[in-house]
Amino acid sequence: MLKLLRLEWKKNCIAGYFKGLISCIVGILAAVVLMALGSGDEQVFRDYTDFMSLTNILIRIVFIIFSSVILSRLVIDEYKNKTVQLLFTYPLKRKKIILAKLSLVFGFCFFSIIIATFMINIAVYFLNPMMNLFDTPVEIQEMVATIPSTFVNAFMMAGVSLIPLYFGMRRKSTASTITSAVLIGFVINATVSNGDSSASLFQFVGVPISMCLLGLIIGYLSYYKVDKVDLT
Amino acid sequence: METVIQIQQLSKSFKGVETVSNVNMNVKKGEIYGFLGPNGAGKTTIMKMILNLVKPTSGEIKIFNNLITTSSYQYLNKIGSIIEYPEFYERLTAKENLELHCEYVGVYEKGAIQEALAIVGLDGVEHKKIHEFSLGMKQRLGIARAIVTKPEILILDEPINGLDPIGIKDIRELLMLLKEEHGITILISSHIVSEVESIADTIGILHHGKLLKEVKMEDIRKENMEYLEIKIDDLKKAIRVLENKLGIRKYEIVNQHCIRIFEHDISQSQINKELILNDIVINGIEKQQQHLEEYFLNLINGGNQIA
Repeated sequence: MLKLLRLEWKKNCIAGYFKGLISCIVGILAAVVLMALGSGDEQVFRDYTDFMSLTNILIRIVFIIFSSVILSRLVIDEYKNKTVQLLFTYPLKRKKIILAKLSLVFGFCFFSIIIATFMINIAVYFLNPMMNLFDTPVEIQEMVATIPSTFVNAFMMAGVSLIPLYFGMRRKSTASTITSAVLIGFVINATVSNGDSSASLFQFVGVPISMCLLGLIIGYLSYYKVDKVDLT
Repeated sequence: METVIQIQQLSKSFKGVETVSNVNMNVKKGEIYGFLGPNGAGKTTIMKMILNLVKPTSGEIKIFNNLITTSSYQYLNKIGSIIEYPEFYERLTAKENLELHCEYVGVYEKGAIQEALAIVGLDGVEHKKIHEFSLGMKQRLGIARAIVTKPEILILDEPINGLDPIGIKDIRELLMLLKEEHGITILISSHIVSEVESIADTIGILHHGKLLKEVKMEDIRKENMEYLEIKIDDLKKAIRVLENKLGIRKYEIVNQHCIRIFEHDISQSQINKELILNDIVINGIEKQQQHLEEYFLNLINGGNQIA
């Protein structure tokens, strides 16, 4: 399995995506920092929680889309370019091949959300005293307290990131994979606000959980069916 | 001789349409088995079923006497293949593609990649990316990929498509070499009949998903390939003489003035004499060789008029 992961990594030059990952993190940070600074006296963010709620939305949207790019490269492109035909003539369990690919997508989404959250937290910790992004100073305990929820959220988004597999595989299309990821990302993270309070689908815990389950089921089905499907 | 690929009553339907129908075939160890058939005859589907890319609707396939099930995969390390158009990872170089292939198969022999590239005449371009390759080069690289892991069976679906005449000759020689020196069993399909004719030991003729004939090249040569072509003035009379006086049953009417005789027991002079004695004017008589192509077309068209 490790060998398969390594070969997928090598074949698709996954290491090259880390540059993209870093740019995304910098971009997200720059966007929220600019928002915080641009608002002048009337601050957009009152405290750390406020600040992070927007940041987390951006992280989730960006990385579900990013993961769909990896998903289309790892799975959809193989089917589209028919290289999967070659892949399946190797003396390897096909289920394992698919599992390696899906784990890589899942892992990429999960870890990139964790890494991004972690790095942005560090940046905020050091930048806030200098740039005054929000009034209430942030305590390190406050940040530590968000760790469990960050992991849970990252896991849920990683599950959700497999949903585009369904749309992409129908026509073996990269475009529909990424488009569906954009739509899913926006739908579950879009926030409705009346100034004082805001709500997004992601806050209703049932929604991300069921979406995550749906993603995992879609992943499981393609894993389960791989030995039965004809490659024509 | 050991049978390495054994196919029994193999059928495959796609959406209710049968593309392969009750095929039985046997590929013996160390032989070149040529698969002939027009486009859409089911050659690729059978090859895909051998590789487990397509699952049979019914029937069974045994490779080295092991039954292939939907989840079989271990036997694939003994098979090198090109199915349809050879696909590669376009962003990688030729060498990287072969390295990846070796790692997936789990074979890594130092120098094997270089050797395979040299055999197909691609040494010197191993660092080129695949998207810069022409169709012929990709075809050659596909063959290099199929042989780099030194498989026991090679399954080649139209491997000479897109190759120039020199390339075709090179591949023909390569396949003969692989068979003779390495004892590799080769299943090759092509619609270029003369190519198969020149290398195959056994041919299987496939049409509309059915295996019309599985026959040794040797037997074809012996049985039907040689014939006597006689040009006469009176066809009806000539047939009467041939059938009644000489007892010839295996003949083909080409046109009103030409007839082909496929029986070898009766000598040319005997036929000649008998026709002349019966007042039939002979305008020409000569021994000819039928090529596999005619044999193939006769079978496919069902126009086999050999009585």
